[in-house]
Amino acid sequence: MARHLLYLTAEDQYLYSSSGSRLELKARFSSDERGIAAFREHLRERKGALFAVVADLAGEDFHEEQIPLLRGNDREAIVQRRLAQRYRDTRLAAALSLGQVAGPQRRNERLLLTSFTNPQQFAPWLDALEESGARLAGVYSVPLLAPALAARLAPRAQRVLVVTVNRAGLRQCFIEDGKLRFARLERTVDMVPQGLATFVRSETLRLTQYLATLRALPRDGGPLQALVVAPAGERAAFERALVSDARAAFQTIDNEQARAAVRLRKAPEGIGGEALYLHLAASRPPREQFASREDRRRYDFWRLQRAVLAAGAFGFAACAAYAGSLWLETDEMRTRAADNAREARSAAERYARITAAFPVTETTTENLRVAVLEFRRIADASPPPESAFVHVSRVLEQFAQMELDAFVWRLGRPGESREIERAGAGVPARGENAVTLEISGRVNATQRNDYRGITAQVQGFASALASGGYQIARTQLPFDVTSEGTLTGDIGGRDSGEAPRFTITLTRVLP
Amino acid sequence: MNLSRDELVRLVFPALAAIVLMGAGVWLIKIVGEARAKAHAQLASTQAERRQNADRLARIAEEEREVSEKLDLYKQLKRLNIIGEERRLEWADAVARIRNQRELLDLTYRVDRQKLLKSLAGKPGSVDFFASTMTVQLELLHEEDLLRFLADLRESGNAYYSVKSCGVRRTGQAATGVTITPRLRASCTIDLVTMIDRGAKR
Repeated sequence: MARHLLYLTAEDQYLYSSSGSRLELKARFSSDERGIAAFREHLRERKGALFAVVADLAGEDFHEEQIPLLRGNDREAIVQRRLAQRYRDTRLAAALSLGQVAGPQRRNERLLLTSFTNPQQFAPWLDALEESGARLAGVYSVPLLAPALAARLAPRAQRVLVVTVNRAGLRQCFIEDGKLRFARLERTVDMVPQGLATFVRSETLRLTQYLATLRALPRDGGPLQALVVAPAGERAAFERALVSDARAAFQTIDNEQARAAVRLRKAPEGIGGEALYLHLAASRPPREQFASREDRRRYDFWRLQRAVLAAGAFGFAACAAYAGSLWLETDEMRTRAADNAREARSAAERYARITAAFPVTETTTENLRVAVLEFRRIADASPPPESAFVHVSRVLEQFAQMELDAFVWRLGRPGESREIERAGAGVPARGENAVTLEISGRVNATQRNDYRGITAQVQGFASALASGGYQIARTQLPFDVTSEGTLTGDIGGRDSGEAPRFTITLTRVLP
Repeated sequence: MNLSRDELVRLVFPALAAIVLMGAGVWLIKIVGEARAKAHAQLASTQAERRQNADRLARIAEEEREVSEKLDLYKQLKRLNIIGEERRLEWADAVARIRNQRELLDLTYRVDRQKLLKSLAGKPGSVDFFASTMTVQLELLHEEDLLRFLADLRESGNAYYSVKSCGVRRTGQAATGVTITPRLRASCTIDLVTMIDRGAKR
């Protein structure tokens, strides 16, 4: 948003518009009633516009004071009291802090009180601005802007005198440690460059002498650096005239060079050194100014509105930036997903191409695997009974006196038969498939009362069967010789002729 | 700065605009966040698919060897009609044929209803194993008749014959000399196993 700058001088008022690095002259008003009326007329079409007033007047007072080091409302109250003591009209009065100073008993703050000897000359212009609804950003004097100019032209200078040739006259501002200490305006008449340069030299030396008298300059501080901004095309004449000596060390800066330092690219024709101050008032206004809070209320409220909007915009920008980073991640993920999908497709196609060359099957590879593996498992768990028959037959050939009555081959989990379960040793663990053989028979060709012989023959037969992976699970002898059983006998009785019977149970765990 | 009522009213529009802007920013984050979650899920899915396909491709040589190795058995099972629906009539024919060929004295049998043994997940369809339990009683002159019967049964095909139990006992009958008297009686329980491949090409 463009800022309007009202440049006040003793003779005429100039209205400039500043936008970016451009300064444009909009109107010129005389100091009389006609000029004020024209200004009011001009403001009618600029309701709500941003304005700043830059005064370049001779009657500006500077007075240094010290106050106790305070903060907040207490400091403000003391400052206002000191201003009221110093000036009759405090509407346009300001106190510039020059820093702290340690006193004998307490720490103080140095202040430079400043105001205009005739603030009434501002009143009609400020009233016109107030009535028009314009937003007044501040009322500045050229000296208040001088520290900002000095910081750009001679950033490292401790004490410097900034001299410019303005429309209002020759402006001299003394800056110490970046703070304004004193300023004066000397009227000039139309002069040739050489004459103006000589005038600048003599006025600078006068001011140097005055500052030395005020003890504003150290006694052995050497010559005061005087930074003179020469009007356009007069630098050579200025450099010739401004010869440094023990009192002042002159440094002449071309007008264009000074404008470049404050980043002012375009300024109206015929404007003097005030262009530099006006541009600084628009682009980098200092905190110190003369307008009261009430005069600036519209401007402050406008800034509050802008701050609220800016907070919203900042929040949106922050969210958008975060969303942007998320979006970049999302985009990267999508790219990676697309790459993965492409690689997966490519692998699937290669797989399909290779499997197409496989032997022709009537089913899928997966089903082929499942069907064959499960069939093999079933087949492995289903041994044919023939091998058991062969095994028993071979053993039987060695025991001619044995005659079998029954032979049972059974496939299943051990424990399905209670008898086997009771047998204990040699029984495979539950859960394993096993083959069970149950062999029942008789012992022939042996006397029935030959207990020991019959028992030995059955046990020998059972031991012979317990080979080829078979284990004895249970042996039921013709005579129960175990401590748990009942042993019976009929000694001297008649022999019935029936051969003694036995039962042998064998198991073989399947792999 | 104390604001007047008029100033507060004039502050409403910027405040609303700021709230709308902040809301738009939050909405933007939500939308992009959802898109990101979706993209993340898609990435995980495609990564898994790529890994799976790559692994399958890496195993292809092994798979080819496996196919070649298993294909012969599969074909054999198919040829023996072990893969496919039950063929009960063929079983009855086979038992009758064996009895006649082997001149077995007496042979009775019973085949129970079919039951599902196991169902295994395949691709694209499952592979289901079924079993029908057959109980056979035979009158034998010699125990070798039983072994021959079992061997002939296997040869006949149409199922995988998984013998569960077989028992042989003496009949105790004395030979008369007029008729052939069986000396042994056998009783066997056999599971007739068939399978149906639901992923097989038709």
